Amino acid sequence: MRFILSIILIAFIASFVEYFLPWWSIAIVAFIVSFAMAQKPAVSFLAGFLGIALFWLCAVLFIDWSNNHILSGKLAFVFKLPNYGMFIFITILVGGIIGGFAAWAAALLRSPEKV
Amino acid sequence: MRRIYGVVILIVTICLIYVLDTKIGDIPALGRFLDPVNGCWASAETVNRDFTAEIRFPELKTDASVWFDERIVPHVRAENDHDLFYIEGYLHAFFRLWQMDMETRAAAGRVSEIIGNKTLNYDRGQRRKGMVYGAENSLKAIENDPRTKMMMDAYTEGINHYINSLKYRDYPLEYKLMGFAPEKWTNLKASLLLKYMADDLTGYTEDIPLTYLRDVLPKEQFLLLFPEKITGSSTVIPAGTLFDSATLAIPKVPEGAIFPKFEANDKKISKNYLPVFPEKQDGIGSNNWALGAAKTQNGAAILCNDPHLMLNLPSLWFEIQLQTPDRNVYGASLPGAPGVIIGFNDSISWGLTNNYRDVKDFYSIKQVETDKNKYLFAGKQVPYEKRIEKIGLKGMPDFLDTVNYTIHGPVMYDDHFTAPGNYNKPLAMCWMAHNATNELLAVYLLNKAKNYSEYVDAILNFQCPAQNMVYADRLGNVAIWGQGQFVNKWKEQGKYIMNGADSTTLWKELIPMRENPHVLNPERGFVSSANQCVTDSTYPYWYNGYFIELRAWRINALLNRDKKFTIDDMFKLQNDTHSLLAESTIGIFTNVIEHLKIKLTSEEENYLKLLKDWDKELGAESKAASIYQIWWYHFYNDKWNTTLKRVPENLFPLPERTMQLLVNEYYTNDMEKETLETIKHIDDNVILKSFKETIDSIKILEKTIGIQWYMVKNTTVKHLSRLDAFSYQHLKIGGWSNTVNAAKGDHGPSWRMVVEMGKDINAYGVYPGGQSGNPGSKYYDDFLQYWVEGKYYKLQFLPNNKEQNNNSFKSCWTLHP
Repeated sequence: MRFILSIILIAFIASFVEYFLPWWSIAIVAFIVSFAMAQKPAVSFLAGFLGIALFWLCAVLFIDWSNNHILSGKLAFVFKLPNYGMFIFITILVGGIIGGFAAWAAALLRSPEKV
Repeated sequence: MRRIYGVVILIVTICLIYVLDTKIGDIPALGRFLDPVNGCWASAETVNRDFTAEIRFPELKTDASVWFDERIVPHVRAENDHDLFYIEGYLHAFFRLWQMDMETRAAAGRVSEIIGNKTLNYDRGQRRKGMVYGAENSLKAIENDPRTKMMMDAYTEGINHYINSLKYRDYPLEYKLMGFAPEKWTNLKASLLLKYMADDLTGYTEDIPLTYLRDVLPKEQFLLLFPEKITGSSTVIPAGTLFDSATLAIPKVPEGAIFPKFEANDKKISKNYLPVFPEKQDGIGSNNWALGAAKTQNGAAILCNDPHLMLNLPSLWFEIQLQTPDRNVYGASLPGAPGVIIGFNDSISWGLTNNYRDVKDFYSIKQVETDKNKYLFAGKQVPYEKRIEKIGLKGMPDFLDTVNYTIHGPVMYDDHFTAPGNYNKPLAMCWMAHNATNELLAVYLLNKAKNYSEYVDAILNFQCPAQNMVYADRLGNVAIWGQGQFVNKWKEQGKYIMNGADSTTLWKELIPMRENPHVLNPERGFVSSANQCVTDSTYPYWYNGYFIELRAWRINALLNRDKKFTIDDMFKLQNDTHSLLAESTIGIFTNVIEHLKIKLTSEEENYLKLLKDWDKELGAESKAASIYQIWWYHFYNDKWNTTLKRVPENLFPLPERTMQLLVNEYYTNDMEKETLETIKHIDDNVILKSFKETIDSIKILEKTIGIQWYMVKNTTVKHLSRLDAFSYQHLKIGGWSNTVNAAKGDHGPSWRMVVEMGKDINAYGVYPGGQSGNPGSKYYDDFLQYWVEGKYYKLQFLPNNKEQNNNSFKSCWTLHP
């Protein structure tokens, strides 16, 4: 359950923090939450990845839906991607990787005995 | 051990963040860019966005309102001029900030600051032609007049209020893509934008190639191919209009060496003599006309205008209505400058086409051999005034360019920056756009002019770029002025490069602007212009220019008909794709091929048949139009490449002149087809050769994109960043530069407007773009399809009231001080 809780905490806190801080604040959030939750490194990575990906996915889907894919379609073209779905996927992937790595680092840095 | 892994992963994470926060080549900082909260996604505008807001502007004097109609055209109501222009500035920035930034950077030669080395030569050219110098001069004139100073200051305040309110999240998308940030707006930027337009419209010059041609061609042939005024011009001011006699004495052509001769060693290219000149931008033209009350079915004057400019997204134009208790004006504004440039108010309407009289001349400068800092003028050694231009280069140290200013103007070309054709001696440029002129005052007054005399008082302040300004009012009057500031020149002054060491070549007196060619309510009942020659030879002052005639012939032929016109007729005329060029030449082409009795393949015969059955309309789907235009293109280039082998490329006689020569050659009795001579002509071979080339081109096209005219010509509306993703290609629209609907490759009708000035004002308009500059908005390109199809929006011209029926608007801003 700690895994699910981590995901939700990361997603929730990041969505709040990112409104006030630059985009890389998602890494700090994933790091701190992961540090506090003390999980195995692999699990931590996944939680970090999914937490940020979940938040970004929800945000992007909402924005993109109310925009009728106007922007995502054009930007997919800019980045030579086949369709707007791919552009959304790339967005999520970038956020997820940063979240995952930050969480992974935190889990490793935390004293191993406590796991 | 595990901790060490942890540190490693932490470092990797930080590196990843660093990389994703850095712009690499053309790829933006991906992390920052993709961030759904602050990045590109913030530009994804909700399709049913409600713009309604209550905004506090401490700089406002009183409350004000902005109503947005369903096309989000803002209708601004303010209680005084200051507040009005403040809000206009805010609105322009709100919808078009990045575009305003880019255009003023382009004007000022500051593109390399954000692009880098690639654009250095462009920036140098801008600096050396004195763009900033001219803008600074004009700004002084603007700020010297209390009315335009107030207008400009308020406008700038409004823009800066918007810029100051922005966080990274709110930046227009293009800033995030290109990796730079908005900077503070200044009055100078608006002045630069006006000079940008002046450069676009009067920057073209044939002085350098004409100088070559004069020296290479026999005089008779030169005059035949490049007449100063083409025969049969259907002039802007109708022939027969009486001009007041000149109040200035017409200067005599001075004696002595007023024109330098080009010598072989002036050009480094004597062996391979094919210098490349900038192609004549004959897409920059425009149409306007106004029908007096007697020429229309409703008995009300109708005014029409479609300026042909660069087709870009965001569009050059932004529709707006501006109201205070003493002005109520609607029309197309230029984001980056206050007021309405083309439009109408509750009394009058006006429109612009480029006037094309030459106001830019070149002088050959004699350097003092022993002193690089001096030049010879009137027998004396005169020191240059030096202006150091600092050009910022992204990621590199600044580039410093010293520009020498002479009595004539800046030395644009010298051995550091060579002229087209590799002419490497110093050439100074004397240009009306360098002068301290205040066009904004014209705009300020024009926007609230109530009648013809107030109109004239307003436009007399409009000096450069000279425009054919058409007028119509609610009393049924129509008028046109070839308005601008011109110099009282001696014959051929400035037509060729002049000797800059001789004081007799200087620009001297200015022609009083009331003596500019104009006509009010001419007998024929209408006025019109389409960049043709301004007057017949009875106009007392001498001038030359870059006049083109084909559209004017067509427009005047149609308007001269004995008919009372309707608004629908005007729509049709603005979208007319009938080619006079084709009508006059296609018969010659096809007849020559038949008379030569060469063997044709069945394919070739089919193409010929298509042309014979053709209605001479350059319609979007027409195949014959493509065949004809390609044929004309090959014929024109083959003919002049053979005849003018040794002269600079791209200064060929005009298409209409070529057409006249061809018609004179083949028809004994002007244009009547029955008398087409069947004897051999010198152009027979050119016609045959170009026919074969055409067939080859057509075959290739058939295999690729097909030969429908719109596919072949490819009318494109390009985003200013040149990104294809934000641009539209192969728009299904007919026409070309030789038709009224001059939709060329990247130029075309940039704002079509039709206004009936009756008891009610009925106005229609459309431009290829949309009100929003944001590619993520549905208002970015929503007018485009309408424009392509030749449709119009009815413009909502609100009565001059503090209150409006809010139900008929999409949203509303309530503004408080």
